[in-house]
Amino acid sequence: MEEGKRNSAGVFTHLERLEAQAREIAVKQEKMKQEEEKRARLKARVRELRLQRDKLLAKVRLQKKKLREKRAMSDPAKSGARAVLEWKIKNIKAMLQVSYVTGINGKRTKQGVCFCISTAYESTYLDSYYVHLLVKPEVQIHQHSVPTFIPLEQIAKMYLQTDIGRFLSVLSDHLNAYAGRKYQADQLQEHFSDQIEGTLQRNSLCNLLVFNYKVSSKSKTFPFNARLLYGDLCCSLPTEVNVSCTPDAPASLAEMAAAHSDLFSRVALHKAFRSFSSDEESMDGAP
Amino acid sequence: MDNSICQVYEDEIQSLEEEIKLLAEKYEDSQQESTFFSDEEILMSIKSFQRESEGHESLSDLITQLESLETDLSFLKKFTGIQFTSHFKEIVEKTTNRTVRKHRLSGNCYSLSFQLEFQLLEMQNKENVSAVVTDLGIVMESGEDSDMSKFVSSTEEHGNLLRFFRSLSSYAEWYEHRRCTFLHFKGKYPDIVTLPEGLLGDYIVLRNPKHSGLELMIVWKIHIDEEGRTTPVLDLLTKVPEQVLEQKMATIENAPACFRSMLLLFGIEAALENLIKVVGLEK
Repeated sequence: MEEGKRNSAGVFTHLERLEAQAREIAVKQEKMKQEEEKRARLKARVRELRLQRDKLLAKVRLQKKKLREKRAMSDPAKSGARAVLEWKIKNIKAMLQVSYVTGINGKRTKQGVCFCISTAYESTYLDSYYVHLLVKPEVQIHQHSVPTFIPLEQIAKMYLQTDIGRFLSVLSDHLNAYAGRKYQADQLQEHFSDQIEGTLQRNSLCNLLVFNYKVSSKSKTFPFNARLLYGDLCCSLPTEVNVSCTPDAPASLAEMAAAHSDLFSRVALHKAFRSFSSDEESMDGAP
Repeated sequence: MDNSICQVYEDEIQSLEEEIKLLAEKYEDSQQESTFFSDEEILMSIKSFQRESEGHESLSDLITQLESLETDLSFLKKFTGIQFTSHFKEIVEKTTNRTVRKHRLSGNCYSLSFQLEFQLLEMQNKENVSAVVTDLGIVMESGEDSDMSKFVSSTEEHGNLLRFFRSLSSYAEWYEHRRCTFLHFKGKYPDIVTLPEGLLGDYIVLRNPKHSGLELMIVWKIHIDEEGRTTPVLDLLTKVPEQVLEQKMATIENAPACFRSMLLLFGIEAALENLIKVVGLEK
C-alpha cells in the first residue's frame, strides 16, 4: 500500500516533469516562431526600404542629369500657373524660415505682431525670445518671454511709441550682450572646471562674475581671485576687472595677475583661459 | 545569435530610413532650386489664375496665401531694413537630430546689397533647435570701403552672421539717413549745395553763388569697426581765396573746430543748416 503510493507519486512527478517539458518546448517553439516572423518582417521591411531608396536615388540622378543638360527647367507656360505659384509660396516660406538668422523675425497676428529676437555668440545661435505687440489703440506689449532682469519696460518707454525698429534693435543689443556673457561663463564652467576653485558666482544678469582659479608657476599652484563687472549692459566684455593673488605670493605672480586682468578686459573669458592652457603647454614643451 | 541577426536588420532599417529622408529632402530641395520664376512670370500666373479661378476656391486660396506671405516678408523689412531677394538651400547632411544645409542668400538693407553663402548646422534637442554657422562668405557691393571690408572679413572669420545683419542694419540706416539729409538740403538750398558725387557720395560742397572762391566741403563718413559698431564722422574742409585768408585767418582756421562743437550741440541737421545759412549770407 505504502509502496504503491510512493510508486504512483513517482509516476505523477514524472508525468508532471514531462508535462513541464512539453510546455517548455511549446513555449520555445512559439518563441522561435515569433522570432522567425519578426525576422521575416524585418527582412521584408529592409527589402522594401532598399527598393524605395534605389528608386529615390534613380530620381535624384535623373534630376542631376537633367540639370546638367538644361540649367533652367522653368517655363511657366509648361509648368502651369499652379506650379508657378506653389513654387513661389515655397520660396517665400523658406526665406521667412531662415529670417531668424538676422536676429529679428516677426509674424503678423490677429491683434498685432509677434516678434522673435534671436541671440548668438559668434557663430552659435543661442536662445530666442518673443515679444507680442498689440498695435491698437496704441502700441503696447501684450506678452513676452524676455527675462525679468532685462530692462524691457525702460526700453519700451523710450522707443516703443516712436520707433518700433529702434525698440527691437536696442532690445536685441541687450539680449545678445546678456546671451554672450552667459555663454562665456557657461563655457568657463564647462571646459575649465579643473582650474576653477569652488563655484563661479554670478548674478542673474551675468554682469558680475566672481571666481577663484588656480595658476601654476614653477610646479607650484597659487590661487587667484577674479572679479569681473560688466558695466555696459549692451556689451559682453567687462568694464571693470580685478584679479588678485594672495599677499604672500612672489612678485612675478602679481605681474601675472595684472596681465590676466588686462587680458580679461579685452578677450572673451573662455578664450582667455584657452590661451593660458596653450601658454602652459608651450612652456612645458620648451627645452 | 538570433537577436544579433534582428539587430543587424534593425540597424539597416534605421540607416535606410535616414538615407531615404535625406534623399527625399535633397530631391525636394533641388526640384525647388532648379526652378526659377521671375516676378513678372509670377504676376502673369496670378492673372491667368484669377481668370481661371473664379468659382474655384482652392485656387484663390493659393493666391491669398501667397499675398499674405509676401506681406509678412515686406512687413519684416519695415522694421529691420533687411529684405531677402533670393534664397537657395541645399541639404548636405541629415541624421535624426542634425541637419546641415548650405544656404545662398542675397538681398539688400536699405540701399546696400549683399550676397551671402554659409552652412547652417541645426541640431534638434529636446527643448529647442540650436544652430551653428560655418563657411560664411560675404560679398558686399560697397566693397571699396576699407572699414567695411575689415568688418566683413572679421565676421567671416568668426561666422558671426547675426552680428553681421545687426550691424549692417544700423550702418545702412546711417547711409540712408545721410542720403535723405543731402537730398533735403539740396532741395531746400539748390543754389548753395552741390553734390559732386551724387546722393550716394560722402560729401557735399557749399558755395555762395555770388562769391566764387569760398568753398566749404562737408565730409560725412560712416565708420564701422571690426565689432560692427557704427559711428558717423563729420568734418569740415575749407577752400578760401588767399586775400580773404589773410584777413580772416583765425576765423577760417577755427571753422572746423566750431563745426564740430556745433554738431555736438545741435545735432547733424541743425549744424548743417546753420552752416548753409552762413554761407548764403556771406558778403
